[in-house]
Amino acid sequence: MKKAFYTIWVFYKINTKRFFRDKLALFFGIGFPLIFLFVFGALNGNSNSVSFNVALINKSDSSFAKEFTKDIKGSKVLKVNKEVTTLSEAEDKMSRSEIDAAIVLPAEFGDVKKGEKYPSGQAEVLYTQNNQASGQALGSILDAQFKGINGKFTHTVQPFSVKTEQLSKKSLTAFDYTFAGLLGFAILGMGIFGPINVFPELKKMGILRRLSTTPLRVWQYFVSIMLGQATTGLISLAIMFAVAIGVFHLKVAGNYLELIAFIVFGIIMILGIGLALGGWAKNERQAAPLSNIIVFPMMFLSGTFFPRYLMPEWLQHVSGFLPLTPVIDGVRLIATEGVHLTAILPQIGLIAGWMVIVYLIAFKVFRWE
Amino acid sequence: MKAMIEVKDLKKRYGDKQAVDGISFDVKKGEIFGILGPNGAGKTTTLEMMETLREIDSGFVKIDGIDVKKNPQKIKYIIGVQPQTPAFQDKTRLTEVIEMFAAAYGEKVDPMEFLRDVDLEEKATNFVEDLSGGQKQRLSITTALVHGPKVFFLDEPTTGLDPQARRNLWELIEQVRDKGISVVMTTHYMDEAEILCDRIAVMDEGKIIALDTPKDLIKALLKRGFTKKQHVEQANLEDVFIDLTGKALREG
Repeated sequence: MKKAFYTIWVFYKINTKRFFRDKLALFFGIGFPLIFLFVFGALNGNSNSVSFNVALINKSDSSFAKEFTKDIKGSKVLKVNKEVTTLSEAEDKMSRSEIDAAIVLPAEFGDVKKGEKYPSGQAEVLYTQNNQASGQALGSILDAQFKGINGKFTHTVQPFSVKTEQLSKKSLTAFDYTFAGLLGFAILGMGIFGPINVFPELKKMGILRRLSTTPLRVWQYFVSIMLGQATTGLISLAIMFAVAIGVFHLKVAGNYLELIAFIVFGIIMILGIGLALGGWAKNERQAAPLSNIIVFPMMFLSGTFFPRYLMPEWLQHVSGFLPLTPVIDGVRLIATEGVHLTAILPQIGLIAGWMVIVYLIAFKVFRWE
Repeated sequence: MKAMIEVKDLKKRYGDKQAVDGISFDVKKGEIFGILGPNGAGKTTTLEMMETLREIDSGFVKIDGIDVKKNPQKIKYIIGVQPQTPAFQDKTRLTEVIEMFAAAYGEKVDPMEFLRDVDLEEKATNFVEDLSGGQKQRLSITTALVHGPKVFFLDEPTTGLDPQARRNLWELIEQVRDKGISVVMTTHYMDEAEILCDRIAVMDEGKIIALDTPKDLIKALLKRGFTKKQHVEQANLEDVFIDLTGKALREG
């Protein structure tokens, strides 16, 4: 038994060294996920502030209208497109969704009507069918703004009002979801694309066949690969965490030891899928189609690039059972919500279940040539 | 003396083709045994069944008294295998290749000692992809011997090598034999078989059609009244070809 583990140790040691000598492997294992991290991190960087692109068409020359126009142009929420000055131009841009809505101030807007003390008027918000949501939101924003202005002019008592208050409790940002998803993407990439590229090549060259004439057992070979994948995977993910914390201000709330244990668990389960595919395939042509069928649903439905809460409910139920989903959810729950392993037993159970299934298949279908 | 390898009525069928059709032979300790024959004669299949790589349909192979079919894992500890085209994972140093193969047997060895045996100690820290074809063959031979096997199998070891590398390999194979290891090899080259092999089995269509020492096989042929046509030609077709196309090397 001691000899059996010496075998595993030597294979693990030398293959891990080989990983660090191989520039291509380093790029796909470490560089590639980092590129995605930077791209998605930048995309999510300003997603906290909502803004609308609008056209402002002012037909009035009252001083109030001028003042109001200036206010709107200075607003952070409303981005006024300066090129648009007529309604037909605005309609044209709206039809192409280049702007969300048009605000029209009619000619008499802001005039003081005869017999009244204060200026008055009605602004119009125009939007197209496909922009209903932003049009209505914009309507309420302007409405609120006018109410504030009205209050300055007429000092009537407002018996009811709404006060909004921001809670100090931290909520998840879009980046928290994206980051967990990208970790999942990295785990998927290393665990599946690694074996399905390497194994058919090793078979073609007869390297596995040569190994099969030695007493080396399949389980010893698999365990040495698992250890290697866990090592390189942890290094790759550690670099991603460092970048996310340093550059994108990720706050890790959970316990690092629990996080590492959970990630290793997830890496080994996903690797099992790669071992089953690569171990079964005789050549690249066999490996590619089957792995695409298995990888793509996980890539798009497990929450790698877009969070699962955006999906319709029935799809959330189905995608919840994909192998990668509990890995991504678990990482997010530990890392950003700070829960303990005991709180994510459903995820751990699902991963364990998949692990049994994929490794049973992997051992069953493995062939040396 | 008791035989190291005992092959009895060995059979293998692929679909409707009887690849190996009931062959029997013995290999003694410390001899080089050659299996000759045209393509498709069943040489490689025979070798692969002895190496545990192919399922045996019927008959048996015993190596040092152990049945290959019943106990393949035990057999793996006492055989060494040289594939037709040796290949190694790239970005691996020569010392690491030796270390890994020894580890596959659960053993720890001094890699330099094994590299010295095949004259590769200067390349010890190079990566395997830097080796020439002949050097890869030599590395492959020494990796097949790390665990001190009793039998060494080679499948067409000199195919594709230049004349110098071939002769070097022959010497190495003889050295292996001189250590008391039984060598079983297949080959297409008659000069190789004649120089190297102590005994030869000639196979055709899955059967052994002759089995003896090279010398006795030739003697038997001459006894049957065979005479080689003796004539001296002033030129041959190659001379014609060179005369027509010139001696300069061509691109591509």
